[in-house]
Amino acid sequence: MSYIENIFICLAAPLLLAILCLSPDGRRGLGFLLAGMTSCLLSAYVSAFFAGIAETDIPTASHEIAPVVEEVIKFLPLLFYQLVFNAKRRNIIMGALLVAVGFATFENVCFLTYNDTSDLSRLLIRGFGAGAMHVVCGMVVATGLSFLWDQVQLQIAGTVALLCFVITYHAIFNVFANQSGMVFWVGNAIPLLTVLLYLLFFRKRVDM
Amino acid sequence: MIERLENALQIAVLLFCCCITIYRALRLHSRVWIFLTFFYGSWLLGDIYWTTCLFFFKQTPQISIVSDLSWYASFIFMYMLLHQIAPPQGNSRAWLVPWLGPIFTLAMAIYYTLWGQLLNNLIYALLMGLLLYAVIYRLCKRKQYARQTALCQTILVFCLMEHALWTSSCIWSGDTLLNPYYWCDLLLTLTFPFFLRATRKAVSA
Repeated sequence: MSYIENIFICLAAPLLLAILCLSPDGRRGLGFLLAGMTSCLLSAYVSAFFAGIAETDIPTASHEIAPVVEEVIKFLPLLFYQLVFNAKRRNIIMGALLVAVGFATFENVCFLTYNDTSDLSRLLIRGFGAGAMHVVCGMVVATGLSFLWDQVQLQIAGTVALLCFVITYHAIFNVFANQSGMVFWVGNAIPLLTVLLYLLFFRKRVDM
Repeated sequence: MIERLENALQIAVLLFCCCITIYRALRLHSRVWIFLTFFYGSWLLGDIYWTTCLFFFKQTPQISIVSDLSWYASFIFMYMLLHQIAPPQGNSRAWLVPWLGPIFTLAMAIYYTLWGQLLNNLIYALLMGLLLYAVIYRLCKRKQYARQTALCQTILVFCLMEHALWTSSCIWSGDTLLNPYYWCDLLLTLTFPFFLRATRKAVSA
Protein backbone atom coordinates (compact mmCIF):
# COMPACT_ATOMS: atom_id res chain seq x y z
CA MET A 1 0.00 0.00 0.00
CA SER A 2 1.27 3.47 -0.87
CA TYR A 3 0.60 6.57 1.15
CA ILE A 4 0.26 9.32 -1.42
CA GLU A 5 0.25 12.08 1.21
CA ASN A 6 3.75 10.95 2.23
CA ILE A 7 4.87 11.07 -1.41
CA PHE A 8 3.33 14.53 -1.66
CA ILE A 9 5.21 15.81 1.40
CA CYS A 10 8.45 14.41 0.03
CA LEU A 11 7.95 16.12 -3.34
CA ALA A 12 6.55 19.37 -1.99
CA ALA A 13 9.24 20.01 0.63
CA PRO A 14 12.00 21.14 -1.79
CA LEU A 15 9.50 23.20 -3.75
CA LEU A 16 8.37 24.96 -0.57
CA LEU A 17 11.96 25.77 0.32
CA ALA A 18 12.62 27.06 -3.19
CA ILE A 19 9.54 29.30 -3.00
CA LEU A 20 11.04 31.05 0.02
CA CYS A 21 14.26 31.82 -1.85
CA LEU A 22 12.92 32.88 -5.26
CA SER A 23 11.92 36.22 -6.81
CA PRO A 24 8.16 37.02 -7.01
CA ASP A 25 7.88 35.70 -10.59
CA GLY A 26 9.62 32.43 -9.78
CA ARG A 27 7.65 32.17 -6.56
CA ARG A 28 4.39 32.47 -8.47
CA GLY A 29 5.47 29.80 -10.95
CA LEU A 30 6.46 27.31 -8.27
CA GLY A 31 3.33 28.20 -6.32
CA PHE A 32 1.21 27.12 -9.29
CA LEU A 33 3.22 23.93 -9.64
CA LEU A 34 2.67 23.15 -5.98
CA ALA A 35 -1.04 24.04 -6.30
CA GLY A 36 -1.29 21.53 -9.16
CA MET A 37 0.28 18.78 -7.06
CA THR A 38 -1.98 19.62 -4.12
CA SER A 39 -5.01 19.52 -6.45
CA CYS A 40 -3.98 16.03 -7.52
CA LEU A 41 -3.75 14.86 -3.92
CA LEU A 42 -7.16 16.34 -3.05
CA SER A 43 -8.69 14.87 -6.22
CA ALA A 44 -7.57 11.41 -5.22
CA TYR A 45 -9.35 11.75 -1.87
CA VAL A 46 -12.53 13.28 -3.31
CA SER A 47 -12.74 10.79 -6.21
CA ALA A 48 -12.32 7.89 -3.78
CA PHE A 49 -15.08 9.37 -1.60
CA PHE A 50 -17.55 9.68 -4.50
CA ALA A 51 -16.60 6.27 -5.88
CA GLY A 52 -17.43 4.85 -2.45
CA ILE A 53 -20.79 6.60 -2.40
CA ALA A 54 -21.67 5.46 -5.93
CA GLU A 55 -20.36 1.95 -5.16
CA THR A 56 -18.44 1.75 -8.43
CA ASP A 57 -15.32 -0.21 -9.27
CA ILE A 58 -11.99 1.51 -10.04
CA PRO A 59 -12.17 1.36 -13.89
CA THR A 60 -15.67 2.87 -13.88
CA ALA A 61 -14.68 5.53 -11.38
CA SER A 62 -11.61 6.42 -13.46
CA HIS A 63 -13.72 7.53 -16.43
CA GLU A 64 -17.00 8.53 -14.81
CA ILE A 65 -16.01 10.22 -11.54
CA ALA A 66 -12.30 11.11 -11.62
CA PRO A 67 -12.46 13.44 -14.68
CA VAL A 68 -15.22 15.53 -13.11
CA VAL A 69 -13.47 15.81 -9.75
CA GLU A 70 -9.99 16.37 -11.17
CA GLU A 71 -10.93 19.10 -13.62
CA VAL A 72 -13.02 20.99 -11.06
CA ILE A 73 -10.33 20.84 -8.36
CA LYS A 74 -7.59 21.70 -10.88
CA PHE A 75 -9.56 24.79 -11.83
CA LEU A 76 -9.89 26.06 -8.24
CA PRO A 77 -6.34 27.54 -7.87
CA LEU A 78 -6.85 29.42 -11.13
CA LEU A 79 -10.23 30.70 -10.03
CA PHE A 80 -8.75 31.87 -6.73
CA TYR A 81 -5.89 33.61 -8.54
CA GLN A 82 -8.28 35.33 -10.95
CA LEU A 83 -10.74 36.44 -8.27
CA VAL A 84 -8.24 37.58 -5.63
CA PHE A 85 -5.46 39.06 -7.77
CA ASN A 86 -7.47 40.05 -10.86
CA ALA A 87 -4.66 38.50 -12.87
CA LYS A 88 -3.44 39.45 -16.33
CA ARG A 89 -4.39 37.16 -19.20
CA ARG A 90 -0.82 36.05 -19.75
CA ASN A 91 -0.39 35.08 -16.09
CA ILE A 92 -3.64 33.10 -16.08
CA ILE A 93 -2.51 31.04 -19.06
CA MET A 94 0.92 30.48 -17.53
CA GLY A 95 -0.77 29.53 -14.24
CA ALA A 96 -3.08 27.03 -15.96
CA LEU A 97 -0.12 25.44 -17.68
CA LEU A 98 1.89 25.09 -14.47
CA VAL A 99 -1.06 23.81 -12.42
CA ALA A 100 -1.63 21.18 -15.13
CA VAL A 101 2.07 20.24 -15.14
CA GLY A 102 2.14 19.95 -11.33
CA PHE A 103 -1.00 17.82 -11.41
CA ALA A 104 0.33 15.52 -14.14
CA THR A 105 3.72 15.18 -12.42
CA PHE A 106 2.24 14.11 -9.10
CA GLU A 107 -0.22 11.80 -10.84
CA ASN A 108 2.64 10.15 -12.75
CA VAL A 109 4.68 9.72 -9.57
CA CYS A 110 1.70 8.02 -7.90
CA PHE A 111 1.16 5.89 -11.02
CA LEU A 112 4.80 4.76 -10.87
CA THR A 113 4.53 3.72 -7.23
CA TYR A 114 1.49 1.53 -7.98
CA ASN A 115 2.60 -0.01 -11.28
CA ASP A 116 5.43 -1.89 -12.88
CA THR A 117 8.20 0.45 -14.05
CA SER A 118 10.13 -1.90 -16.34
CA ASP A 119 8.35 -1.08 -19.63
CA LEU A 120 9.98 2.18 -20.72
CA SER A 121 8.00 2.61 -23.95
CA ARG A 122 4.68 2.32 -22.13
CA LEU A 123 5.80 4.73 -19.42
CA LEU A 124 7.09 7.15 -22.02
CA ILE A 125 3.82 7.27 -23.90
CA ARG A 126 1.87 7.39 -20.62
CA GLY A 127 4.01 10.30 -19.36
CA PHE A 128 3.63 12.33 -22.53
CA GLY A 129 -0.01 11.37 -23.08
CA ALA A 130 -1.31 12.13 -19.58
CA GLY A 131 0.85 15.26 -19.36
CA ALA A 132 -0.43 16.53 -22.69
CA MET A 133 -4.02 15.77 -21.73
CA HIS A 134 -3.78 17.81 -18.50
CA VAL A 135 -2.04 20.65 -20.34
CA VAL A 136 -4.73 20.71 -23.05
CA CYS A 137 -7.53 20.77 -20.49
CA GLY A 138 -5.87 23.53 -18.44
CA MET A 139 -5.10 25.63 -21.49
CA VAL A 140 -8.62 25.38 -22.91
CA VAL A 141 -10.17 26.60 -19.65
CA ALA A 142 -7.57 29.35 -19.18
CA THR A 143 -7.84 30.57 -22.77
CA GLY A 144 -11.60 30.70 -22.50
CA LEU A 145 -11.43 32.43 -19.13
CA SER A 146 -9.09 35.08 -20.52
CA PHE A 147 -10.24 35.71 -24.05
CA LEU A 148 -13.78 34.71 -24.85
CA TRP A 149 -16.07 36.72 -22.61
CA ASP A 150 -16.52 40.36 -21.68
CA GLN A 151 -19.56 40.21 -19.41
CA VAL A 152 -19.40 38.61 -15.98
CA GLN A 153 -22.55 36.48 -16.41
CA LEU A 154 -21.31 35.14 -19.72
CA GLN A 155 -17.88 34.54 -18.22
CA ILE A 156 -19.38 32.40 -15.46
CA ALA A 157 -21.64 30.42 -17.80
CA GLY A 158 -18.89 30.08 -20.39
CA THR A 159 -16.34 28.87 -17.87
CA VAL A 160 -18.78 26.24 -16.61
CA ALA A 161 -19.37 25.16 -20.22
CA LEU A 162 -15.65 24.96 -20.89
CA LEU A 163 -15.14 22.91 -17.74
CA CYS A 164 -17.85 20.50 -18.93
CA PHE A 165 -16.09 20.35 -22.31
CA VAL A 166 -12.69 19.45 -20.83
CA ILE A 167 -14.23 16.96 -18.38
CA THR A 168 -15.58 14.97 -21.34
CA TYR A 169 -12.24 15.22 -23.16
CA HIS A 170 -10.51 13.94 -20.01
CA ALA A 171 -13.04 11.11 -19.59
CA ILE A 172 -12.56 9.94 -23.18
CA PHE A 173 -8.80 9.95 -22.62
CA ASN A 174 -9.21 7.86 -19.45
CA VAL A 175 -11.38 5.32 -21.28
CA PHE A 176 -8.71 4.90 -23.97
CA ALA A 177 -5.74 5.04 -21.59
CA ASN A 178 -7.16 2.22 -19.46
CA GLN A 179 -7.24 -0.15 -22.44
CA SER A 180 -4.30 -2.16 -23.68
CA GLY A 181 -2.55 -2.53 -27.03
CA MET A 182 -3.22 -0.23 -29.96
CA VAL A 183 -6.12 1.56 -28.23
CA PHE A 184 -3.78 2.66 -25.44
CA TRP A 185 -1.35 4.14 -27.96
CA VAL A 186 -4.08 5.89 -29.94
CA GLY A 187 -5.63 7.26 -26.74
CA ASN A 188 -2.34 8.76 -25.63
CA ALA A 189 -1.57 10.11 -29.09
CA ILE A 190 -4.79 12.18 -29.19
CA PRO A 191 -3.72 14.77 -26.54
CA LEU A 192 -0.24 14.94 -28.05
CA LEU A 193 -1.79 15.67 -31.42
CA THR A 194 -4.03 18.30 -29.81
CA VAL A 195 -1.00 20.01 -28.25
CA LEU A 196 0.80 20.01 -31.61
CA LEU A 197 -2.25 21.50 -33.36
CA TYR A 198 -2.57 24.09 -30.59
CA LEU A 199 1.07 25.10 -31.00
CA LEU A 200 0.69 25.28 -34.76
CA PHE A 201 -2.50 27.28 -35.00
CA PHE A 202 -3.33 29.04 -31.74
CA ARG A 203 -0.07 29.97 -30.03
CA LYS A 204 0.44 33.27 -31.83
CA ARG A 205 -3.08 34.35 -31.10
CA VAL A 206 -2.78 33.54 -27.38
CA ASP A 207 0.54 35.35 -27.12
CA MET A 208 -1.04 38.60 -28.32
CA MET B 1 -26.38 -2.20 -34.20
CA ILE B 2 -28.68 0.54 -35.51
CA GLU B 3 -27.78 2.74 -32.56
CA ARG B 4 -24.07 2.34 -33.30
CA LEU B 5 -24.60 3.24 -36.95
CA GLU B 6 -26.68 6.22 -35.92
CA ASN B 7 -24.01 7.38 -33.48
CA ALA B 8 -21.28 6.90 -36.08
CA LEU B 9 -23.23 8.99 -38.57
CA GLN B 10 -23.78 11.75 -36.02
CA ILE B 11 -20.09 11.73 -35.07
CA ALA B 12 -19.08 11.95 -38.75
CA VAL B 13 -21.45 14.87 -39.40
CA LEU B 14 -20.28 16.69 -36.26
CA LEU B 15 -16.63 16.10 -37.14
CA PHE B 16 -17.20 17.56 -40.59
CA CYS B 17 -19.04 20.60 -39.15
CA CYS B 18 -16.32 21.04 -36.51
CA CYS B 19 -13.57 21.11 -39.15
CA ILE B 20 -15.41 23.79 -41.11
CA THR B 21 -16.01 25.97 -38.04
CA ILE B 22 -12.36 25.63 -36.91
CA TYR B 23 -11.25 26.73 -40.37
CA ARG B 24 -13.60 29.73 -40.29
CA ALA B 25 -12.63 30.62 -36.71
CA LEU B 26 -8.94 30.61 -37.66
CA ARG B 27 -9.50 32.56 -40.86
CA LEU B 28 -11.92 35.16 -39.53
CA HIS B 29 -10.71 35.37 -35.88
CA SER B 30 -14.33 35.62 -34.85
CA ARG B 31 -15.82 34.65 -31.49
CA VAL B 32 -19.03 33.59 -33.22
CA TRP B 33 -17.25 30.77 -35.05
CA ILE B 34 -15.34 29.83 -31.90
CA PHE B 35 -18.64 29.46 -30.04
CA LEU B 36 -20.08 27.37 -32.88
CA THR B 37 -16.91 25.22 -32.83
CA PHE B 38 -17.37 24.62 -29.12
CA PHE B 39 -21.07 23.84 -29.67
CA TYR B 40 -20.19 21.15 -32.21
CA GLY B 41 -17.12 20.06 -30.23
CA SER B 42 -19.04 19.56 -27.00
CA TRP B 43 -21.77 17.56 -28.71
CA LEU B 44 -19.14 15.54 -30.53
CA LEU B 45 -17.22 14.73 -27.34
CA GLY B 46 -20.45 13.70 -25.60
CA ASP B 47 -21.26 11.37 -28.52
CA ILE B 48 -17.73 9.94 -28.62
CA TYR B 49 -17.76 9.26 -24.89
CA TRP B 50 -21.17 7.57 -25.12
CA THR B 51 -20.09 5.47 -28.11
CA THR B 52 -16.73 4.45 -26.61
CA CYS B 53 -18.48 3.31 -23.43
CA LEU B 54 -20.88 1.24 -25.54
CA PHE B 55 -17.97 -0.16 -27.53
CA PHE B 56 -15.53 -1.01 -24.71
CA PHE B 57 -17.88 -1.80 -21.82
CA LYS B 58 -20.92 -3.02 -23.85
CA GLN B 59 -23.19 -0.74 -21.83
CA THR B 60 -24.10 2.93 -21.57
CA PRO B 61 -22.28 4.94 -18.85
CA GLN B 62 -23.56 3.79 -15.46
CA ILE B 63 -23.57 7.20 -13.80
CA SER B 64 -23.95 8.91 -17.19
CA ILE B 65 -22.95 12.34 -15.88
CA VAL B 66 -20.04 12.94 -18.27
CA SER B 67 -21.93 12.82 -21.57
CA ASP B 68 -24.68 14.95 -20.07
CA LEU B 69 -22.14 17.56 -18.97
CA SER B 70 -20.91 17.77 -22.52
CA TRP B 71 -24.39 18.19 -23.91
CA TYR B 72 -25.20 20.86 -21.28
CA ALA B 73 -22.11 22.70 -22.48
CA SER B 74 -23.41 22.58 -26.06
CA PHE B 75 -26.61 24.37 -25.07
CA ILE B 76 -24.63 27.02 -23.18
CA PHE B 77 -22.36 27.62 -26.18
CA MET B 78 -25.37 27.89 -28.48
CA TYR B 79 -26.92 30.46 -26.15
CA MET B 80 -23.66 32.40 -26.14
CA LEU B 81 -23.47 32.26 -29.90
CA LEU B 82 -26.94 33.75 -30.12
CA HIS B 83 -26.07 36.37 -27.51
CA GLN B 84 -22.90 37.28 -29.41
CA ILE B 85 -24.62 37.59 -32.79
CA ALA B 86 -27.78 39.27 -31.58
CA PRO B 87 -27.54 40.80 -28.10
CA PRO B 88 -30.94 41.44 -26.46
CA GLN B 89 -32.30 44.93 -27.08
CA GLY B 90 -34.79 46.72 -24.84
CA ASN B 91 -36.68 45.11 -21.99
CA SER B 92 -36.96 41.48 -23.03
CA ARG B 93 -38.96 40.56 -19.91
CA ALA B 94 -41.90 42.69 -21.06
CA TRP B 95 -42.74 40.05 -23.65
CA LEU B 96 -45.01 37.18 -22.67
CA VAL B 97 -44.80 34.94 -25.76
CA PRO B 98 -41.14 33.86 -25.22
CA TRP B 99 -42.12 32.40 -21.84
CA LEU B 100 -43.84 29.62 -23.79
CA GLY B 101 -40.37 28.16 -24.32
CA PRO B 102 -39.41 27.69 -20.65
CA ILE B 103 -42.98 26.58 -19.79
CA PHE B 104 -42.83 23.91 -22.51
CA THR B 105 -39.41 22.62 -21.43
CA LEU B 106 -40.43 22.56 -17.76
CA ALA B 107 -43.65 20.65 -18.53
CA MET B 108 -41.72 18.14 -20.62
CA ALA B 109 -39.07 17.80 -17.90
CA ILE B 110 -41.76 16.90 -15.37
CA TYR B 111 -43.02 14.26 -17.82
CA TYR B 112 -39.49 12.88 -18.36
CA THR B 113 -38.88 12.53 -14.62
CA LEU B 114 -41.32 9.57 -14.75
CA TRP B 115 -38.43 7.70 -16.44
CA GLY B 116 -35.24 9.65 -15.72
CA GLN B 117 -33.41 11.56 -13.00
CA LEU B 118 -34.98 14.71 -11.59
CA LEU B 119 -31.85 16.90 -11.47
CA ASN B 120 -30.65 15.96 -14.93
CA ASN B 121 -34.04 16.72 -16.48
CA LEU B 122 -34.34 20.01 -14.62
CA ILE B 123 -30.91 21.16 -15.83
CA TYR B 124 -31.82 20.30 -19.42
CA ALA B 125 -35.15 22.11 -18.98
CA LEU B 126 -33.40 25.19 -17.60
CA LEU B 127 -30.79 25.35 -20.37
CA MET B 128 -33.19 24.60 -23.18
CA GLY B 129 -35.78 26.92 -21.67
CA LEU B 130 -33.25 29.77 -21.69
CA LEU B 131 -32.33 29.01 -25.27
CA LEU B 132 -35.94 28.77 -26.41
CA TYR B 133 -36.80 32.00 -24.59
CA ALA B 134 -33.98 33.81 -26.39
CA VAL B 135 -34.97 32.32 -29.75
CA ILE B 136 -38.70 33.03 -29.50
CA TYR B 137 -38.00 36.56 -28.27
CA ARG B 138 -35.88 37.25 -31.35
CA LEU B 139 -38.43 35.63 -33.65
CA CYS B 140 -41.13 37.87 -32.16
CA LYS B 141 -39.00 40.92 -32.97
CA ARG B 142 -38.21 39.89 -36.51
CA LYS B 143 -37.66 43.44 -37.78
CA GLN B 144 -34.86 44.05 -35.32
CA TYR B 145 -33.31 40.61 -35.78
CA ALA B 146 -33.99 40.06 -39.48
CA ARG B 147 -30.55 38.61 -40.28
CA GLN B 148 -30.68 36.18 -37.36
CA THR B 149 -34.10 34.71 -38.24
CA ALA B 150 -32.64 31.65 -40.01
CA LEU B 151 -30.38 30.89 -37.03
CA CYS B 152 -33.28 31.25 -34.60
CA GLN B 153 -35.45 28.96 -36.71
CA THR B 154 -32.67 26.37 -36.88
CA ILE B 155 -32.23 26.45 -33.10
CA LEU B 156 -36.00 26.12 -32.65
CA VAL B 157 -36.14 23.07 -34.93
CA PHE B 158 -33.09 21.60 -33.17
CA CYS B 159 -34.70 21.97 -29.73
CA LEU B 160 -37.97 20.46 -30.95
CA MET B 161 -36.10 17.54 -32.53
CA GLU B 162 -34.25 16.96 -29.26
CA HIS B 163 -37.55 16.87 -27.38
CA ALA B 164 -39.04 14.51 -29.97
CA LEU B 165 -36.00 12.28 -29.48
CA TRP B 166 -36.34 12.24 -25.70
CA THR B 167 -40.10 11.65 -25.85
CA SER B 168 -39.72 8.77 -28.31
CA SER B 169 -37.07 7.19 -26.07
CA CYS B 170 -39.58 7.25 -23.20
CA ILE B 171 -42.42 5.64 -25.14
CA TRP B 172 -40.81 3.22 -27.59
CA SER B 173 -37.97 0.76 -27.20
CA GLY B 174 -36.42 -1.88 -29.43
CA ASP B 175 -33.50 -2.10 -31.80
CA THR B 176 -35.42 -1.98 -35.08
CA LEU B 177 -35.98 0.70 -37.67
CA LEU B 178 -39.64 0.85 -36.63
CA ASN B 179 -38.55 2.64 -33.47
CA PRO B 180 -39.20 6.40 -34.01
CA TYR B 181 -36.23 7.18 -31.74
CA TYR B 182 -33.82 6.39 -34.57
CA TRP B 183 -35.72 8.55 -37.03
CA CYS B 184 -35.76 11.46 -34.59
CA ASP B 185 -32.02 10.99 -33.99
CA LEU B 186 -31.43 10.98 -37.73
CA LEU B 187 -33.43 14.20 -38.14
CA LEU B 188 -31.49 15.75 -35.26
CA THR B 189 -28.24 14.80 -36.99
CA LEU B 190 -29.46 16.43 -40.16
CA THR B 191 -30.10 19.74 -38.39
CA PHE B 192 -26.42 20.16 -37.42
CA PRO B 193 -25.11 21.28 -40.84
CA PHE B 194 -27.87 23.90 -41.06
CA PHE B 195 -26.24 25.83 -38.21
CA LEU B 196 -23.28 26.54 -40.49
CA ARG B 197 -25.38 28.20 -43.13
CA ALA B 198 -27.62 30.00 -40.65
CA THR B 199 -24.65 31.38 -38.69
CA ARG B 200 -22.93 32.49 -41.87
CA LYS B 201 -26.10 34.28 -42.90
CA ALA B 202 -26.46 35.87 -39.45
CA VAL B 203 -22.92 37.32 -39.38
CA SER B 204 -22.78 38.36 -43.04
CA ALA B 205 -23.57 41.91 -44.30
